Amino acid sequence: MKFLEKIRRYIKISEVAPISRRYFIMNAFDGATTILGIVIGAYAAGITNEFWVIWSGLGVSLAMGLSGFAGAYMTEEAEREKKLNALEKSMLIELKDSVIGKASRFASLWAGIVDGVSPALTALVCLTPFFLSSHGFFSINFAIPLSVAMALTTMFLLGVFLGKISNRNMLFHGAKMLFVGLIITFIFLVLKIIQ
Amino acid sequence: MIRRIVLDVLKPHNPSVVEVSEALSHLEGVEAVNVIIYEIDQQVENAKIIIAGSSIDFESIKKKLEEMGATIHSVDEVAAGERIVEEVKTPQDRSARI
Repeated sequence: MKFLEKIRRYIKISEVAPISRRYFIMNAFDGATTILGIVIGAYAAGITNEFWVIWSGLGVSLAMGLSGFAGAYMTEEAEREKKLNALEKSMLIELKDSVIGKASRFASLWAGIVDGVSPALTALVCLTPFFLSSHGFFSINFAIPLSVAMALTTMFLLGVFLGKISNRNMLFHGAKMLFVGLIITFIFLVLKIIQ
Repeated sequence: MIRRIVLDVLKPHNPSVVEVSEALSHLEGVEAVNVIIYEIDQQVENAKIIIAGSSIDFESIKKKLEEMGATIHSVDEVAAGERIVEEVKTPQDRSARI
């Protein structure tokens, strides 16, 4: 309980909540879009083995997760260091051992975790049909449209979440996000037909 | 034992006055806290902090404030002992003569 309280306090002091929300939406969307691309690509290529999609998806999830963590952590750390230095100049004291310094370090780590976990998480969710298909629950022909539907639903839900936090029309925001997913699907299907 | 202490403190905007006053009020020997912001800058703010209690430990107040990223500019008033002695105006005070 005390640990959670500490985290809540650091989040409040470092004001990392809006930034991490932004990171979460952006990267969760990236994760869903990437898997959508892989799945549609696999369908266009006529893949019959679900492990191709699973391993490609896992590889991409790992890469997105690590790059997201490292990128966000380092960027956030540099930005926050700059801010802390400016504050130290105004205060004429060192703040690294104060709650502000600790919150600042926590915020960089938190942003990195959110940035790394969110794309990997949505990617894994969208890959679930292929895991189930590999265990014989259903065929790959069913897993492909199911995975596409899950990716599109994830995008829609992310839009709904955006609508909720901005106190605007949730369905409209959901539809906007969904539209992007549908464009990707449409482009690939057109390419498949042309091919 | 210190019963009342008035401090002039420089603090960043975050943690807020609410958090600072709460943190100080939880210290041992502290019974009441009053924080007044009297000047706000772009990065920092100046606060007058009045702490009252039965036995205030100045070092723990100082440590807590430092932990919150604040720094004590000056100790403006201290009342210690069995009871609080209020400030009295005397003819020597410039304000009393005016």
